[in-house]
Amino acid sequence: MRDSTTPVLRAEGLVKTHHGEGAPAHAVRGVDLRVTPGEFVAITGPSGAGKSTLLHLLGGLQRPDAGSIWLDGECTDGYNEARWAVERRRRIGIVFQFFNLVSDLSVADNVELPALLAGVSPKKARAAREELLAELGLEGKERSMPGELSGGEQQRVALARALVNHPPLLLADEPAGSLDSKGTREVMRLLARFHQRGQTILLVTHDARLASAADRVISFFDGRIADDAELDGGAPPRRTGISGVLELKD
Amino acid sequence: MRLPLLALLARGPAHGYELKQDLEQLLGSAYPQPNVGQIYVTLGRLEKTGLIEGEDVAQSSRPNKKVYHLTDAGREALRAWYEETADEPRVRDEFFMKLALAPQTGLADQIALINTQRRQYLNTMRQLSKLAAAEDRDNRISHLLIEGAMLHLQADLDWLERCQEELEELE
Amino acid sequence: MRATLRWAHSDLRTHRGEALFLVLATAGIVASLLLATALFGYATNPWQRVFTQAHGAHVTLHTTASADAGELAGLDGVDSVAGPYPTASVTLASQGGRASVELRGTSGRPDVGRPLITSGHWLDPATPRGVVLESRLARVLLTAPGDTLTVPGTARRLTVVGVADSAEPRYRPGERTGLVWALPSAVTDPDGQVVGLRLTDPGDTGYAVQRAVTELGAGAIGEVATWQQARAEAQGDNRLLGQVLGLFGLGALVAAGFAVHGAIATRIRGHLRDISVLKAIGFTPGQVVRVFLIQHLVYALFGAVAAAALTGTLGSAVPGRLGDAVDVWQDLPGHTVALFVVPVGAVLFIGATTGLAAWRAGRVPPVPVPRPAAPPAGGLTGVARRALGAKVPPALVLGWHKAFTRRPRSLGAVARLALPLLLIVVALSAWTTIDRFHGSPERMGMPTALGVRADTSLGDREARALLERAPEVAAAYPGVEVAALVPGQTATIALRGLGTAREPYPFTLAEGRAARGPDEAVAGQGLLDLLHVRVGDWVRMTVGDQPQILHIVGRSIEPENAGRVISTSLDTLRANDPGLRPSIYQVRLDPGADPAEVAARLDAAGRGHLDVHTVANPADGLSPLRAVVLGMIAVLALIGLIELLTAIGGTVREGERDLLALKAIGLSPRQITAVTVTATAGTALAAVLLATALGLPLAHWLIDAQGSTSGIGAGIAQGPSPALLLLLGTAAVLGAAALAAVPAARAARRRLADTLSAVA
Repeated sequence: MRDSTTPVLRAEGLVKTHHGEGAPAHAVRGVDLRVTPGEFVAITGPSGAGKSTLLHLLGGLQRPDAGSIWLDGECTDGYNEARWAVERRRRIGIVFQFFNLVSDLSVADNVELPALLAGVSPKKARAAREELLAELGLEGKERSMPGELSGGEQQRVALARALVNHPPLLLADEPAGSLDSKGTREVMRLLARFHQRGQTILLVTHDARLASAADRVISFFDGRIADDAELDGGAPPRRTGISGVLELKD
Repeated sequence: MRLPLLALLARGPAHGYELKQDLEQLLGSAYPQPNVGQIYVTLGRLEKTGLIEGEDVAQSSRPNKKVYHLTDAGREALRAWYEETADEPRVRDEFFMKLALAPQTGLADQIALINTQRRQYLNTMRQLSKLAAAEDRDNRISHLLIEGAMLHLQADLDWLERCQEELEELE
Repeated sequence: MRATLRWAHSDLRTHRGEALFLVLATAGIVASLLLATALFGYATNPWQRVFTQAHGAHVTLHTTASADAGELAGLDGVDSVAGPYPTASVTLASQGGRASVELRGTSGRPDVGRPLITSGHWLDPATPRGVVLESRLARVLLTAPGDTLTVPGTARRLTVVGVADSAEPRYRPGERTGLVWALPSAVTDPDGQVVGLRLTDPGDTGYAVQRAVTELGAGAIGEVATWQQARAEAQGDNRLLGQVLGLFGLGALVAAGFAVHGAIATRIRGHLRDISVLKAIGFTPGQVVRVFLIQHLVYALFGAVAAAALTGTLGSAVPGRLGDAVDVWQDLPGHTVALFVVPVGAVLFIGATTGLAAWRAGRVPPVPVPRPAAPPAGGLTGVARRALGAKVPPALVLGWHKAFTRRPRSLGAVARLALPLLLIVVALSAWTTIDRFHGSPERMGMPTALGVRADTSLGDREARALLERAPEVAAAYPGVEVAALVPGQTATIALRGLGTAREPYPFTLAEGRAARGPDEAVAGQGLLDLLHVRVGDWVRMTVGDQPQILHIVGRSIEPENAGRVISTSLDTLRANDPGLRPSIYQVRLDPGADPAEVAARLDAAGRGHLDVHTVANPADGLSPLRAVVLGMIAVLALIGLIELLTAIGGTVREGERDLLALKAIGLSPRQITAVTVTATAGTALAAVLLATALGLPLAHWLIDAQGSTSGIGAGIAQGPSPALLLLLGTAAVLGAAALAAVPAARAARRRLADTLSAVA
């Protein structure tokens, strides 16, 4: 039984170093993080700072070299790959920048797959899929293959796939990274909409627009958290507020 | 403000209040409420430099309106304005000066400065988003204006990141 | 579980071709293994059945008429005795032809070696001229109970009252006389006796023979036949067929295992992204492994069950020996066990190779990687660079480079493709060898096509003149065949004297040289193995009661009598026995002559005094082998196809990555297609060369090994003709190129946007 104060996600002392061909890269160096239910957190930072690695650690896709993660108060230190996979079915939804969809499966299959994995009956899975696709404006594309969709449509399907089981936590890694500005706006709108319904979202992005849609922005530099700011709409407007930006020169 | 007013008058003669309304309509709620007084002052200056000419029009129940129209000199000035390219926007040199001088004054930490500025930008960005959401969808000019501001903000934020990277390296 | 099924189902839809091929290949392999089992059962069992039912004699001794064979009952190790029965060698003729037979006089049915009546009835004192024929003799003479047989050259007539099965060595025209039981009164001029011994210890035949010879004296012994000989002769061809089927079946199973492993590994490599996404969605590694494993197990199971069902129900409908084998096999006790074990074994083997590959799928990291890491490939070699400079089409150079630079992977692909091709080369060698038996028998140990027996009315010179006068006859060699006791006196062998010093017989030599001087001889492999001697040794044997010492100077290829033949010239034998008359003439024909025609002509010219038969060709019994070889080639070709499709799929998928770069360089879509096609064709070419290089020696070794174990002797192996090999190579390379063309063309023309999403 989770009360509203138990963080959906808590991490302490996460460390991850990549050993590639050259010198080892310290992607994550001692990160502490806490996400409360219903929060929308954005993590920004320059590329190569380790944001994606942090997200992978939080989703159980990679094992941290040191540190612990708690999901809904449960420690995940002892989880092996199979156990994390089970978590990802029900408790975590993940959206990546590319390659969200299985290329051999139709859109409908892609969206229903996590539900079936979680043990939901095919009928309920189909209902959930229809609801989500309608919500995301993708009716009529159930039978298409991912290769036939545009980038923006693929990301929307990916969102549907991630949310079909109504997971408490949604992890998104540069969801608009490969989209144009129109696609970015769509993604932003959808994320905002789901956030309004109470979805907890952890978003990694370098797009300031997307980041500004969040309640909280964490700046990630060189493997460490440099700043953790609550966005509150800002100080009372100086001068004419935002018009300061828009002001026409005299 | 001068040349936009000239441009508005190129359509045809109009008086000050009409011009204010035109501006509002064009730019939508993104543009702050134009100050009527400021418009009249600008119109006066334009008339003094001979770019426009005003005529009093008698009104029955109100004080006289002054209707302005464009002169040839004004049209010439307008054409010249359209032909010249605009300057690039200035880099926020006030902030940059603060950043560069911070170590010497010992009064502020550079990283903290950057973080604060970033928060400011992000909040502004958030407000712009809200504005865009509230704005009428058909007003394309308005949306373009907001998007332009957002892109500038993005550029500023990217630049902040670069600054932070460079500074972190030095440490 | 449902999710797994959903994914497996759509995976099947995209890989239908591969699935079908795998099912068919497994079916073919299981069918061949089952047929091999059937043939093995068929080979041993009928003879075993007859032997047990007939209470067969372990040793059959032919002695002179005067020997006191009744003494043998008291010998050590002898359980019971049949006979002695008087025997006479006569020639019998019927509408179906002639045969040399041994007429055996017996009144009641023997207790040991009891003939099992299959039609008609046993001898009846009421019909003094009634005889019972052994079943194979009856089949060759085309007689049934009620027919009449004549003895040519006399007025004697015999009536067939019954046909029976016997466990003794069966009738072989020209090699062994047939067996006819008659009442003692009908055996008018007995020239020998026959005794059958049943031993307490069946393995002790050598010792028993020794004691019998000691008891009776070497001079009294004629031919000795043991039950092992009889069994080997009865099994003969069927055993060989079974071995061939079994060998190819197992080889094909291994090849299929590799092919499946390769297919899965390549598929995984191409689907790394998808597997990562599935893991990110929540598939556990175990589930991923299970999907691949179960998918392929199901295909294999499907194929295996289908094959077992088909073989079980329709197997006996197959024409020829295979059908008979399945028929008999179904009544054998081990039948249901085999029908169950063989398919399960094949499926388990494929499951094991699948499991190995599938395990790798489970280890794919759940993080989707933008570019699946390609193993570092080498740069363009200097040769390649120069070729490009010399205006060789760039597609060819790049294709070559693509096929051969990723060392471990390209070697693996070539090796896996070479395996079925290698087996096909072996199969083609087998086919060619069988062909040679029919086409050029003189190379395979049968330099003469006809054997002619003259009866006593014709003198030696007359007979020879008569034969050599006939058109299309190149030469007639006089010869004689006697049974000789080997040193140790544990068995008898056939000692032949063929040809004279003036006209030496053209033996087909595999080792050593021809016998020229006196006391020199050539021997077959079977004899060398039996006596444990080698070429160059001296052998001492007893003919009648005379010793004969011979120097073995060469090894000949001897298809008769399981190779247990030693041949020398007539002069050598005449040295010991000056009065020796040739009993048979071996006739060599002109090239291109038809033996049957010439035989008929000689028959007519001989006017009843000549008994002509064609020399038995060991390949006659192997005619089902051709059908078997064809079937195995089909199965192996299927496996090769699976492998080829895998290689093509992998190459095409890897090529997608480079599509943009190649277009930027300036290659047209057609050239880009040519790159992939060249790479595939190059792999196929390398595989064919490797398969030929390894397969020809392997085939030679296998066929020669089979030859020497069967006694014919090593040296019969014939490789496929260069034309056939060239055909195989061209078919493989062109087929590979053609198969690769369609998917490569499709990939080259894909819209750029699609490629980006596939690769990015």
